[in-house]
Amino acid sequence: MKTWSEVMEIQPLASKIITNSIKKDRISHAYLVQGERGTGKEAIALLLAKVLFCENLRDADPCHICSNCKRIDSGNHPDVHWIEPDGQSIKIEQIRNLQKEFIYSGVESTQKVYIIKGADTLTANAANRILKFLEEPSKKTTAMMLTDNSQSILPTIRSRCQVIDLRPLNPRLFQQQLTESGMSEANAILMSALTNNLNDAFTWIEDEWFAESRKIMVQLIDMFSTKPDDVYLFIHQHWIPHFKDRKQQEQGFDLLLLAFKDILYAQIGREDSMVVFTTDDESLQRTTRYFSQEKLHHILNAILQAKRNLKQNVHPTLVMEQLTLQI
Amino acid sequence: MKFIIQRDKLIASVQDVMKAISTRTAIPILTGMKIEAKDHGIKLTGSDSDISIESYIPAESDGMVHVEEIEEGSIVLQARYFPDIVRKLPEKTVEIEADSNLKVTIRSGKAEFNLNGQDAEEYPQLPKLQTDDSFELQTDLLKNLIKQTVFAISTMETRPILTGVNLKLEGKQLKFTATDSHRLASREIPVKEANIEFSSIVVPGKSLNELYKILDDTDEPIEISVTNNQILFRTKHLYFLSRLLDGTYPETSRLIPDQSKTVLYVNTKDLLNTIDRASLLAKEDRNNVVRLTTKDGQTVEITSNSPEVGRATEEISAKSIEGEELKISFSSKYMLDALKAIEYDEVKIEFTGAMRPFIIRPVNNDSILQLILPVRTY
Repeated sequence: MKTWSEVMEIQPLASKIITNSIKKDRISHAYLVQGERGTGKEAIALLLAKVLFCENLRDADPCHICSNCKRIDSGNHPDVHWIEPDGQSIKIEQIRNLQKEFIYSGVESTQKVYIIKGADTLTANAANRILKFLEEPSKKTTAMMLTDNSQSILPTIRSRCQVIDLRPLNPRLFQQQLTESGMSEANAILMSALTNNLNDAFTWIEDEWFAESRKIMVQLIDMFSTKPDDVYLFIHQHWIPHFKDRKQQEQGFDLLLLAFKDILYAQIGREDSMVVFTTDDESLQRTTRYFSQEKLHHILNAILQAKRNLKQNVHPTLVMEQLTLQI
Repeated sequence: MKFIIQRDKLIASVQDVMKAISTRTAIPILTGMKIEAKDHGIKLTGSDSDISIESYIPAESDGMVHVEEIEEGSIVLQARYFPDIVRKLPEKTVEIEADSNLKVTIRSGKAEFNLNGQDAEEYPQLPKLQTDDSFELQTDLLKNLIKQTVFAISTMETRPILTGVNLKLEGKQLKFTATDSHRLASREIPVKEANIEFSSIVVPGKSLNELYKILDDTDEPIEISVTNNQILFRTKHLYFLSRLLDGTYPETSRLIPDQSKTVLYVNTKDLLNTIDRASLLAKEDRNNVVRLTTKDGQTVEITSNSPEVGRATEEISAKSIEGEELKISFSSKYMLDALKAIEYDEVKIEFTGAMRPFIIRPVNNDSILQLILPVRTY
């Protein structure tokens, strides 16, 4: 997204709010941009930063070719500061450095921009430190906080920012984008359910690991209906060695969730919404017969709970074991 | 870009510039060193965004040729490898060449290095400061000014503006002030020619300490100019830029009492040593408190007392004591810092009661001023 009119296509409201404030020269001192993965938070932040620094602004659009724009793109502009979560959260040390930056004057210009990615991961201490800056902004600084989980932002922070809500992407639109870029339709449907990011979708589909995990997932579901006694063995032999780190485990659960959703869809006769399976799949028909609707409902809940447990640092092996026992 | 340069000149410049480069920086390009070749010389730049150092190697000076075969251009090189390479090259001259794909070749004798460079466009642009808006000082004088004030800056982050030194240039008087709200140090000097005036800029103490380390003790002039967000110190071949602190410095002139009830004239070194000795026992105590008591017309008693350790008492004879009797307690560390900063043999200490700040000045010289707040004891 390189111009506001391009942003307009996906996020009409957000684009309008920001372009109007640019034109009227009333850019707020702090924005909280909230929206799901892939809704264009970073693109908007980048664009707004460029607007503030670009040398040849046309209307509200930056030129993308002046040295300021280029350096913002490459992360080398000395007056644009990016704060990203260091591991799981944004640490107090990072905020301390940022605060030091607040009291210095700008390097090249008299204005400064701070972009805080994953603002929901601010630790409570770090968040409270930022508050002070949000309360008494110094002249000509703009803060942009990006989050996909607006619920975990402190209310005290939220109330001091102009909130920009990004609406979720339309999965059909994304599927269309994917098929246009050369992905098969079946894959496109699956990918649009898993991610909103075009690049991720393509790297995943080409990734051997992903193909393997899909196979394991299908096998696992098969096992549930055919040899339920061996499932426990199966997860220890295949599932756990395959899904190693946190991200992979989350993805595994996502896949499992989608698969069981499909089985439910098959039962209630909404075959068109299915993501992982196709209607004529043999194993699907078998599992559909095996699980009752009530049971499926129960399983879906269990998977969601397992995802939550994983987020709260429960040991991944235990989470998976518990889940299989519940199923 | 291409040039051939004398290696010892390059090493010296690289070492100066490296002082500004830090490995842990948020902006990736700042881990590099910018090399700019112009017809008349080579310029190296290093920065950690707070301070920037530029070193200039003229193509020719005093009839000596330092740089030859210059083709103009600029490039950013990884500062992790470049200095070591230059230091260990075999010959006396180094040839550096960069092509349009940002590939850099460094040759010396039969050694050849190929380094990947970065686009110089990406490097922060340092402000072009106007040389007309500047004033000059002697380098050693500037170092003195820094030394006498910068120790008093605050190290706490609660009031960030106090981590800097306040500079003021008005009516050809340059004044440095630093305070951490418990003590204050200031020094004023006349400036010969100044065509700028500024009422209050705040330079980070960290930058001044760094500058102090870099400057040599010479009486050569150093040129100082100021923009709204940077200050530049310029010697013949070295440019030192620092960002300024944003905010208003508190008004300090009202803190300084203009009357005094007790005035003490004393030899600086004697007092310094006495307090140093007394503070040996005071160290256990968190505040480092020592007590000063005037006795008759000539002697002063310095005591320190920490109940768990013991007590120390020492009398020293003052040159003279005028005014009321006095008992006052203060931090020995602050006092020692202040006395060390005053480089005169005799000091005048003016008290206005045990609960009021007191000031220390050299006798017959008002340009240096140290102010300390006393500690309340019972």
